[in-house]
Amino acid sequence: MNRYEIRIVGYGGQGIITLSKMIAYASGICEELLVTQTEAYGAQARGGRSWAEVVIDLDRESKQIDYPKALKPFDLLVILSDAATKEVKKEVIKKEENTGLLIWDSSTILGKFRAASKMKNLGLPIQKMALEKFGNIVYGNTILFGISTVVTKIFSEESAIETIKQFVPSSTLEKNMEAFKFGKQKAEEFLTQLKEGMS
Amino acid sequence: MSNVNGKRFLKPGKYLMMGNVAMAEGALSSGLKFFGGYPITPSTEVIEHLAKRLPEVGGCCMQMEDELASINAVMGASLVGAKAMTATSGPGLSLMTETISMAANIEIPFVFCDVQRCGPGTGFVTVPHHNDVGLTRFAGNGEFEVIAFAPMSCQELFDLTITAFNYAETYRSPIFILSDAYLGHIHEVVNIPPKEEILKRVIDRTIPEDTTGAKFTYEDINTHKLMIPKPYIVGTEFCPPLIIHLPHNQDGILMPEENSLRFMKIMIDKIRDNIDKISLTEEYKLDDAEIIIISYGLPVRASYRAVDIARKKGIKVGIFRLITVWPFPKEKVKKVVAGAKAIIVPEMNYTGVIAEQVERVTDLNIPVIKVPKVATLHHPDDILRVIEEVAK
Repeated sequence: MNRYEIRIVGYGGQGIITLSKMIAYASGICEELLVTQTEAYGAQARGGRSWAEVVIDLDRESKQIDYPKALKPFDLLVILSDAATKEVKKEVIKKEENTGLLIWDSSTILGKFRAASKMKNLGLPIQKMALEKFGNIVYGNTILFGISTVVTKIFSEESAIETIKQFVPSSTLEKNMEAFKFGKQKAEEFLTQLKEGMS
Repeated sequence: MSNVNGKRFLKPGKYLMMGNVAMAEGALSSGLKFFGGYPITPSTEVIEHLAKRLPEVGGCCMQMEDELASINAVMGASLVGAKAMTATSGPGLSLMTETISMAANIEIPFVFCDVQRCGPGTGFVTVPHHNDVGLTRFAGNGEFEVIAFAPMSCQELFDLTITAFNYAETYRSPIFILSDAYLGHIHEVVNIPPKEEILKRVIDRTIPEDTTGAKFTYEDINTHKLMIPKPYIVGTEFCPPLIIHLPHNQDGILMPEENSLRFMKIMIDKIRDNIDKISLTEEYKLDDAEIIIISYGLPVRASYRAVDIARKKGIKVGIFRLITVWPFPKEKVKKVVAGAKAIIVPEMNYTGVIAEQVERVTDLNIPVIKVPKVATLHHPDDILRVIEEVAK
């Protein structure tokens, strides 16, 4: 077992569950890794505080993912609402050099988010950018998927594109591809900065 | 699901599938032709999915006015030769018990999926709780044995549903699948084998070709072995002239009261005598284990992790997993726990239904420690903590 733990938290309707399923699809179906995706169930998935988790087993020899929920500390934590910032503490993110990252949306998190500064973090006004650049906040999800593709390094760009084709209506594919590329670019810029900062 | 190649079988390959859907697909692969049900959280995706899929295979998905009508429709469909099932949750199961008892009595095969939620009563509808484990064992008035499976992954929900349908055909009995609100909504990769491979595994419902097709389970007069004929199909040539829900003989004729004990014995022994074939279990790192975890369903997955961590610390601990919870494999458990230092039973309920079964068959010197969890999953640490305490 070599577990990669992802947790995404925000409010219902932001596309949290879809994003988690896209990551699970790209890793599980396209890259043929073991995955388990779990999600908030009940009224919360339709509004209010919502969450989704993906556990990916990077060890190809494994037969089964043991515990189905993501275990702390996480490799990737995505925080998309004010309320969700409460669960961010130093110890919930891995500290290794090659993993452990917080991604957060600075256009939906309006309060102070001091905890973020204590870890590797990428804060972007994702919803705002989605609305300004692509005309609808739903593209924020694809931006995040683009970011995830780069930072997790678990699935290839081809796998990511195949996943997008599976998940979005064909009429919006072009715009989604742009949003994906935009997210990817932002993440690459971030990783370069991070590298420079370290050296 | 865009990848459906027309009918009964999905195109072979890997699918990212929700637990409830994996179970429904397992049923379709088994040749499911009728689903009768009434939607209830957290089982609703089963009826939703089958409402789409059953018409594609020439079957029927019927949403009835309530649970009583649903289970009776399932029994009716099975009587006339259709592989049939229902899916519900705890409150639905308690309403359906009357018919389950009757189906056991007149030996009607069907599969019953219970996606368990937190009770009692209406309870918390969206959270998992293995609190129907006891109810399935005693689902209905009268004495009869049931078979119940406890899957722990989406792949198993698919595979064990096929096995459940096979058991229903073989033992002519209602078969339970004990899922839960959590397992029913996990998404995992399910590997769908090619149609030929599935067909090799499936026991079909066929029209009986001789007079044994009119018989209920009976004792062979020469060998004294219990014979379980193929399920009868009402309306075919060989079918019992009378089906009564009272103690009956092998031809379905009412038994004199003084022979009721013989009838009960046949009904119960047809499962008990075959327990070695029916009972499915799995062992994990048991060879040198001094501490033994006995569990079923999702807590087994948390146990795997706890055991792996404990083993690294030098603690000799292993898992005995019940894939079929009922009938309880008394003899197997006795053998496995002999000489153990302690037994730990993590269960997603408060009272420890299976822990009590374990206590019943275990030497009094071996402590049986319950690890209860309600409305959520065990964290591996919950189990690890107990292992470490016991190992001290």
